[in-house]
Amino acid sequence: MPSGRRIVGDMTNIGEQAKPPFAVLPDPSSLFLARAERLSALAPDHELGPYLSFLAKLATAQHEVASDLPPALLPPDDRMARSLAHGVPPLSRATIEPDDIMLAAVERLVARFGAVTLPSETATAIAALRTGLRSDGHRIVGAALKEASPAQDLAQRVLILAGLQVHFSRLAAMLDANALKPVANAACPTCGSPPMASTVVGWPRAYNTRYCTCGLCGTMWNVIRVTCVLCGATDGVSFRGFEGQPDTVKAETCDTCRGYVKIVYQVSNTALEPLCDDVASLGLDMMLAEEGWKRGGENPFLLGY
Amino acid sequence: MNIEVSRRRFMQLAGAGAAGTAIGALGFAEAEAQVSAHVKPFRLVQTKEARTTCPYCAVSCGMLVYAAPSKASSGKLEVVHIEGDADHPVNRGTLCPKGAAAIDYIHSATRVKTPMYRKPGTAKFEPCTWDFAMERIAKLMKEDRDANFVEKNAAGTTVNRWTTTAFLSGSSVTNETGWVTYKVARGLGLLQIENQARI
Repeated sequence: MPSGRRIVGDMTNIGEQAKPPFAVLPDPSSLFLARAERLSALAPDHELGPYLSFLAKLATAQHEVASDLPPALLPPDDRMARSLAHGVPPLSRATIEPDDIMLAAVERLVARFGAVTLPSETATAIAALRTGLRSDGHRIVGAALKEASPAQDLAQRVLILAGLQVHFSRLAAMLDANALKPVANAACPTCGSPPMASTVVGWPRAYNTRYCTCGLCGTMWNVIRVTCVLCGATDGVSFRGFEGQPDTVKAETCDTCRGYVKIVYQVSNTALEPLCDDVASLGLDMMLAEEGWKRGGENPFLLGY
Repeated sequence: MNIEVSRRRFMQLAGAGAAGTAIGALGFAEAEAQVSAHVKPFRLVQTKEARTTCPYCAVSCGMLVYAAPSKASSGKLEVVHIEGDADHPVNRGTLCPKGAAAIDYIHSATRVKTPMYRKPGTAKFEPCTWDFAMERIAKLMKEDRDANFVEKNAAGTTVNRWTTTAFLSGSSVTNETGWVTYKVARGLGLLQIENQARI
């Protein structure tokens, strides 16, 4: 090489190489606002429009509550370190103890949301929930973190989970993303919840990689594409969507476990948001259920599917 | 984990319809029913994304091959797009211009899909079967080896050389395949072995 000339950088680097971070933590100051905007944009001319508008108002209320709650309290450091050392999510929803701030997130959300014009079913659920929270708050909030029991009122459960989304996203935002470790494809590394849906992202340095989004805390974690999120199978994974419709939201179906999780191609349309577009593509769930596919994604606003 | 699903199935069997969903419970059963009515006439289509290795060179970049229902022949899938596999540790989503253009290679009218054979003395290649090709190659190799194999050199030392044939192997192969290639070729006495493992 002639002296004085230096080749800068790696000359064999022929494109943008993806170096996807394993986990991306939520930002509660923008998470719910972005959802509210996306839901409002989806609602007009949509068959599920009234529900999407309702969820937009709920997301707005979540945003407002998130910004004026007292700071959330993480479990003790040594406890979280022990969890991470043993492959357990540091904020495992199965073991976390409801505290007063967690309860306050739910109470404030319900109080704020109660001021909005609501269907009578929701209004009734809110009234009952407010009474319940006053007398037995820690127990009913704790119960919503566990698996659904048929005895639990579904509307109340959804509202509690909406409040818990606020609380858990604030907790998750305080963690160190680099410290999180993979738990399983279908379990959030922060809180252990199953994913709502997965997203093929267009982020710089992670272009075209896939992230699952947690339905509770909003953490996103990297899962290799064309792999069943639910059972890990790579054979018999295919995609199902509506003929002649935009294929930016599809179901990733697995012949091995007969389950599916939706996949949202944000890389093709940056407006897409996993929670909102999962709800807006409810028709796909209905069609897939008819063909015998089992929904694996868990979105609080689509409970029952 | 899927307790809601089984609960819904239970509710459906019990004739409760949409009562078991969050949407119904919050008072939007009507909108839910509208979605159900709206999607009735639609049909689901199956598409695929397959992970594969670029066929060109020994770098062996990972590719994602997208397939959708073919417009030309119904009931079949056809390749509609190829891109670098962002999950692949070798290329992390990148492809060189040749790899990026591989879809044209797949759909090329001149793509060779079977082994081809040009008889001695003719000017044209003709399709043949793999069995024919393998047997023909084996026979010619054996003839050449029988005629030109060198067991001992001038000094009488055993060398077991077969220098009149060279061996060209595939590029996009794994360590294991490379090992087998080497063992088979050297076992026959071949010295000129090329399998692009130098990259």
